[in-house]
Order: sequence, then structure tokens, then C-alpha cells
Amino acid sequence: MITEPRIPDPDGFYAALLAAHEGRTDAQSADLNARLVLLLANQCADQGVLLACIRAAAAVQDLTTPQAP
Amino acid sequence: MENFAFAPAYALPAWPFTPPPELGSTKVVRHPIVIVGAGPSGLTLACDLAQRGVPAVLLDEDDTVGVRGASSRGICYAQKSLEIFERLGIYQRIAAKGITWSFGRTFSGDDEVYHFNLQANSVSKQPPFINLQQFYVEWFLVERILELGVTDVRWKSRVTRVEQLEDGVRLDIETPAGSYTIEADRLIDATGANSPIRMQLGIEAHASRSTDRWCISDVRFEKPLPTERWTWVDAPFNEGRGVWQHLMADGVWRIDYQMPEDCDTAAISRPEVAGARLREQLGPDVAFEFVWIGPYGYRDHLLDSFRHGPVFFIGDAAHVVSPFGARGGNSGIQDAANLGWKLALVAQGQAGDALLDSYDAERQPAAQENLQVTSRSARFLAPRSPAEHTLRRAVVALAARYPFARALVNTGRMSVANAYLAAPHLPEGARTVQNLPLRWADGRETTLMQLLAEGTQCIGLWVAPTRAQADAALEATASLPLRLLAVGGDSGLPTLQADDTLAAHLVIGGAGSFALVRPDAYRAAVLPNATPEAIASALRTALAHSPTP
Repeated sequence: MITEPRIPDPDGFYAALLAAHEGRTDAQSADLNARLVLLLANQCADQGVLLACIRAAAAVQDLTTPQAP
Repeated sequence: MENFAFAPAYALPAWPFTPPPELGSTKVVRHPIVIVGAGPSGLTLACDLAQRGVPAVLLDEDDTVGVRGASSRGICYAQKSLEIFERLGIYQRIAAKGITWSFGRTFSGDDEVYHFNLQANSVSKQPPFINLQQFYVEWFLVERILELGVTDVRWKSRVTRVEQLEDGVRLDIETPAGSYTIEADRLIDATGANSPIRMQLGIEAHASRSTDRWCISDVRFEKPLPTERWTWVDAPFNEGRGVWQHLMADGVWRIDYQMPEDCDTAAISRPEVAGARLREQLGPDVAFEFVWIGPYGYRDHLLDSFRHGPVFFIGDAAHVVSPFGARGGNSGIQDAANLGWKLALVAQGQAGDALLDSYDAERQPAAQENLQVTSRSARFLAPRSPAEHTLRRAVVALAARYPFARALVNTGRMSVANAYLAAPHLPEGARTVQNLPLRWADGRETTLMQLLAEGTQCIGLWVAPTRAQADAALEATASLPLRLLAVGGDSGLPTLQADDTLAAHLVIGGAGSFALVRPDAYRAAVLPNATPEAIASALRTALAHSPTP
């Protein structure tokens, strides 16, 4: 898993990502994110890297996330 | 309200109970092999042994096939099972009665999202799948066993108690004419998911039960549809839940509907409720009649070990998985074929007890693999949380447009002949060899299953050995169960024509390369440059012979 920066235009990417979510409900945004994850996973196409990314994403504790009731 | 007709019940055969000689005698007779349970795995094992000339006692508490009053159970027989049935002499009957298919389609809503053609990877004489009601397969097996006349088949014989002895098992058996006791050197438990033998021996099965609910409707209708496996992830005619649709023999379709988890199983299987579902699916003008309706929830279990001393567990007694992918019955049939030749070689004094350990070493991990595969299908079909629903919606939405996502749509991964892991007796592991069409050097046709159908021996396929090599190898393996064949060349051995498909499938190539095929049509070893000593050594290893001192 590569954690050094590799996205050529980070701000441009982030802006495009936000734009894609504009006007969507939470559920629609969740659907969009899920489709995006799957499309990106296929670009990566490396099982070991994919599993490392899943582990890394799951390991990050974001204290600002609302907790489940 | 519409009235729904039921077809007459299937007419099943019944076989007579014959009082065995042990009844009324005080002498406890010992039998080398006793199989309990005449379902697909028990019958396949009895038939496999009989084909090899090895007698066994087969006990069943009933006197017929199938389950009285119910036609559920397996319908899809996979290529490996069909190849086993070819070797046992019942494939032609199965092919004539059943529905051959290789094409599957998966739908979401009204759109097809995925299809597969299993024929694409096949080099076998047998098709990827035949659908047939399970009781027909059992019926053909019983008739074949009776025809071979080697097996002591005892109907209406219920095992009431098993006791493990130092060197065998003691069984109490209840019959309409009274009870008796026998002993067995080796007992094979093929009594199914609720095995009373397993429970009596106190063996943990690690069972779990799913909350997913389904309802089968077996129906006849007049609507021409292709003989393909159709599955819906979310069918519009089933309130957005899953549906399975398959044709089997006698023009009967099995349509399996996913139900809400908290459904009332009695209510959803009432004819008027099941009929309304079917009417929604088929449209207003299609006449149909029910053959059977039955709700079910699936479960799974897996024994840690399929061998406990003299007791062997095969089929559902050893492992149960969810039905997606037809990995239940087919793996039971493969269990039987895995164990049959090993028991036969031990009975004939050509292998030791260690070979029987390899049954567990090979089939337990295979069952573990099947459990993992089917559990993943079950989870795709019954998402457990809003997040899982979201991910599945994404998969299905992308699959309609992009090929990569179709690989993620999981409505069952169809049964395969599991590869076996590397082990002391299988240094490279083992993988199935399909029933290749072959030709002898003089042009006569044969197949791998025909070569394996007689007796019990491994087959050595050797590419163009020299005469001197062939003679030396025959001498080196004279005491071993091996049938040595040449592929091309002029060695004096029985010789098959060289063939690209054969070479590619077995992964053998140039002159001198060699493949060892076991009696269950698994490739146990490949030698790139075989010598007579290496062949004999590979064979001893595959048969788990003790190392020569």
C-alpha cells in the first residue's frame, strides 16, 4: 500500500469528489461512494494492496464520526 | 381466488426387506465394511466399492429413495459427479432422464447483469451440469448396486446404537423382524445432516443456522423457456428479493423464492400464496400445476475430522453448506469416490491404513473451502446491514454497465472438483482430471473413465518411453496397483495416441514426461523426466506406503 502522495492535483481531485456528492441525500452519497470504491478497487487490481487498504481504512478511528446509537 | 392444481405424487420404487442371517443368531458376525445411509453419498460409496468387486453391508432405515412426501433435496449434478456416475455405469440413464445445461444468467430487476457458460473450460465427455431430482439418482444407483450383486443391501434396518471397539465398531440394528447386532472393521456414516451416529459418538459438528428464509415451488407449466440456470438478485415479481429458476426432469421447474426473514413459513407455503407468487412471475395466461411446495431455512456444519478411528463420515453427516452453488450433494458424491478406492486397496492388501487417513486430509479441507464459498454467496444474497445493502446495490448497478463488477455478483459459485492441498502423500497437491476422450494407437476410442472403470489401480501416462524404460518400469511396479500406458512412441506398452488436449490438461509435454492419475481421477504427480524408480516411488508416496527402510 502506497501512502506517499501520488495524486497529481489533490485539490482538483477533492473538488471533483465533492462536486459528485452535491445535491445527494446521505443514502445516495453512500451509494456513490460504494460505486467509487469498487471502480477504484478494480484499477488497483492487487489483492494484497486491496486488503491492506481495507485494513488501513478500518483501523483509522475518526472521533468526529457520529457513533451508532 | 384462483384454484391451484397439484400433480400426482411421484411413484417411487420400494425394495423388500429380507431378514439377514444374523437375525435370531447369537453369534455376532463381523463385516469388513458397513455403510449406514442409502442417500447419494452412501449409495455412491456402495456402488463404487461394488464396481471394484469389494463387498459391503449397506443399511438404510427406509425401503425406498427420496424423502417420503417431499421432493426437495438436490437437483444439480456437477461434472465431477457425472464422471463418477459414468465410471459406475449409470451416466447414460442420468443423461437420458435429466436436463443438461451449462449456461447461467443472473438478473437484477428486469435486466441481465451477468451470465456464464461453464462449457467453455470443459474437456470432458460429461457436460458441466445435469439437473435431475435426487431420488432418480438414488434410484439408478440402487438398481446398479443390485445389478452388480456384490453389496449386501439391507432395507428397513435402523441403527439404534453404535459402540466403538478397540479394532472396530459394534452396531445394534432394528428391523421389522427384530433386532440384531453386528460388528464392522470400518463403519461409514452416510446418515445425513442429523446423523444419529455422530451424535451418539458425541462429535461436535459446529452447526449454525441462517435466518434467511426460502420457499421452493416445484411446478409444471406450459411456457417455453431456455434450459438455463436463471437467478435474480432482486426479482420485481418477488418484492425485490432473490429467485432461482431451474428445469429438472419430467418437465418440472424448481423455482425457489427468497422470503422475508420473519415470514410465517406455513403461510408463505400455502398453495394460494405460492400460486399468487408464481402467477405474478409467469403472467396471467400460463397454466401450471404444483408438484411440491416447501419452505426452508439453510444451515451449515463441518466436522473437525472426517475420520474417528474406524468410523468415517461422508456427505451431509460430515458437512452441510447452504444450497447456493450445488456444493452439498456433489461434495458428498465426491467424498464417496475419494474413499471408495482407498477402502478397496486396503481390502485388497495393496495399501495400509495410512491411506485411509488421506480421506480426511483431502476432503475436510475441501468441505472447508465449500463452506467458505457458499457462505459468501449466502451473505451476498442476504445482506445483514444497511452498509451491506449499499455495497450490493453498487455491485449490481455497476455490473449492468461494466464487466469487472459482474465478477462480484454472487448468486452461487457452482460446484467444482476441489483441488487437494499438498500433503506428505501428495507432495504437489492433486487436482481433478476430466473425463478426456482418448484414442488407442490403433484408432479405437476410449475415455479416462473407461480406463478407470475396471479394477482398482492408478494409471500412469508416460509420453513415448523407450522399450527399455517401459520394461524396467513394469518390473519396478509389478507388485503395485498401476496400469502403465504410453502416450505415443513405440514402447511395447498399451499406447494412446498423442493428443494436445491430453497433454495440456495433464500438463505433460515432451518425451519421458509422466502423469500419475489416481482411481478417483485426480492427478497425484507429474514427473518431467520419469525413470522407473521415480514412477514406483511416486506411486508408493501417493498410496501412503511407509518409506522403504
